[in-house]
Amino acid sequence: MMENTVQLLERPAGATPWKTRSQNFRIWIAAASILPAALSYLVYLNAGLSGAAILLIVFLPLQLLGAAIAAAFTRGRRGVADSQLSVLVLFATSFVAIMLGSIVFSIISWGLKAVSPHFIYQNNVYVTPTTSLEYGGAGHALIGSLLVVGLATLIAVPLGLAVAVYLTETKGRFKGPVRFLAQSMSGLPSIVAGLFVYALFIATGTANLSGWLGSLALSLLMLPTVVRMSEEVLKLVPGDLRSAALALGAPQRRTFFQVVMPTAKAGLITAVLLGIARVVGETAPLLLTTRLMSETSINPFYGDLATLPTFIFSNLTAGFDTGRARAWAAAFLLLAVVGLIFGATRALTTQKVK
Amino acid sequence: MTITGENIMDAKLQNANIAVLDAESHLEARNIHVWFKDRHVLSDVSLHFPTNSVTALIGPSGCGKSTFLRTLNRMHELIPGAGLAGSIYLDNEDIYAAGVDPVNIRLRVGMVFQKPNPFPTMTIKGNVLAGLRLSNRRTRDEDDLVESCLNRASIWNEVKDRLDAPAGSLSGGQQQRLCIARSLALSPEVLLMDEPCSALDPGSTRRIEETIRELSADMTVVIVTHNMQQAQRVSDQTAFFLAEEGQPGHVVEFGATDNLFSAPNDPRTEDYVNGRFG
Repeated sequence: MMENTVQLLERPAGATPWKTRSQNFRIWIAAASILPAALSYLVYLNAGLSGAAILLIVFLPLQLLGAAIAAAFTRGRRGVADSQLSVLVLFATSFVAIMLGSIVFSIISWGLKAVSPHFIYQNNVYVTPTTSLEYGGAGHALIGSLLVVGLATLIAVPLGLAVAVYLTETKGRFKGPVRFLAQSMSGLPSIVAGLFVYALFIATGTANLSGWLGSLALSLLMLPTVVRMSEEVLKLVPGDLRSAALALGAPQRRTFFQVVMPTAKAGLITAVLLGIARVVGETAPLLLTTRLMSETSINPFYGDLATLPTFIFSNLTAGFDTGRARAWAAAFLLLAVVGLIFGATRALTTQKVK
Repeated sequence: MTITGENIMDAKLQNANIAVLDAESHLEARNIHVWFKDRHVLSDVSLHFPTNSVTALIGPSGCGKSTFLRTLNRMHELIPGAGLAGSIYLDNEDIYAAGVDPVNIRLRVGMVFQKPNPFPTMTIKGNVLAGLRLSNRRTRDEDDLVESCLNRASIWNEVKDRLDAPAGSLSGGQQQRLCIARSLALSPEVLLMDEPCSALDPGSTRRIEETIRELSADMTVVIVTHNMQQAQRVSDQTAFFLAEEGQPGHVVEFGATDNLFSAPNDPRTEDYVNGRFG
């Protein structure tokens, strides 16, 4: 009689046969990775060329050749093509990763030398670039930066979202020109945004240098980023969902706020964060619209207001070691604040269904 | 030509292929023409849907069935480049008359789409209540409404223990029945269904067909389908649409489902329902 049960097996170790490479293959890969590097190092020791030149004219061709030979012996012709592209992609990736890593590394390693609790909450009153690092801090600049960027976000995000909604959700007649304008604005040099605000308010005597003018300049830079990102994200919301809502008798406004926006929420938040990231380190527009100062102020609408980028600028250009250390510390602070804002936003806005 | 009630009836009587059911029409399409940009895609469609009847729209792909369906609740006009002539009467009022708000029409004429499209950001319960929330209305007992709608869409037993789960966690067939429940929550007078079973397995299809039969006790149903057996199982009357080479789609034959399938008047209808083309 036939056994009427289906065999039930415990998963054996691994059980991913598709990952297995032959022993031979591993030896070839090891040889193709180590030999070009070793040969390049020998050339570097004897030829008197710079490291970068060796990397480009000796190491890269050798690595390509090595990968080609290894692939030819183990994987055939298609393997050779694959190996060449893999080497190029890995080379380019490492190049960028190393540059990025070195920037972050220098900010952290230099910054940590001057960062201390008092650096975060004290201001810079009575402190000159030559004053010892035990005194003074960038607390006033941190507050100023948060105020200026926060205000810029308040201006640019509602406006940017509204423009994106106009571009994706309506049959507006001026969609073409508006999209073109937003695209051209994204190429605007930041100093021009500063000059624009300067010419409009300060040169005409309408207003004095002050925080809100900086926010205005920054919002000009934020706007195109927010518009274009939000537009792309809203376009990704399936038309089916809009149809479903409209067929349920929802007015277009409710369709947008209750269906389209919740569906695109994660992407819209990314759009806002990218907008903030675009401007948080901008220096040029702030130099033109706000005045450097060392006292703490919490009023962006009246008087002088310090910001982290201008704090970094003034300390760097002062030309003293203590000033440079303060600049690095402020750069570290800026990086940490941006990281905190992004992390907190992500944590607070994970998708929930209602 | 001006279109009046009388010459519509004359036109019907002249065309022997169009039989008239003896019942009061709840929904009626008179001389509907549709264009997309300058392309004429649907020509002179006049159909009437008696109260609490089920009407099947059949015909090959691209003959304008779905397009016609979308003219019945003013979803057609949302397509860029759409054009329309003719009138649709719901309880003897033209839904395309000046000043009529399409939102009010869509509240009375519900729609189920070909592809299940529950709102992914809402729970199962939230989807059923979405229609109310989207039109800013309240109900005294939400839980009662949710249960009765899900029951009528024959999905209550499968989801009653996980009403707060995301709608996306349901299978395709369950999602489609959830979408039906979502439409029912607004108590529409007419329910339009655009190939509601095209992506479903036989079990889900059977349950949706049972649902359609039950719903017709309370509402007028219009269903687009490619499945001849389905049309015969669920509908009281059937319209056969056809778009011949280079011509806009039109209705070849319209009549009681039994007659149309057993003794079609037009040879093209006979060929189509017997699977000889399309």
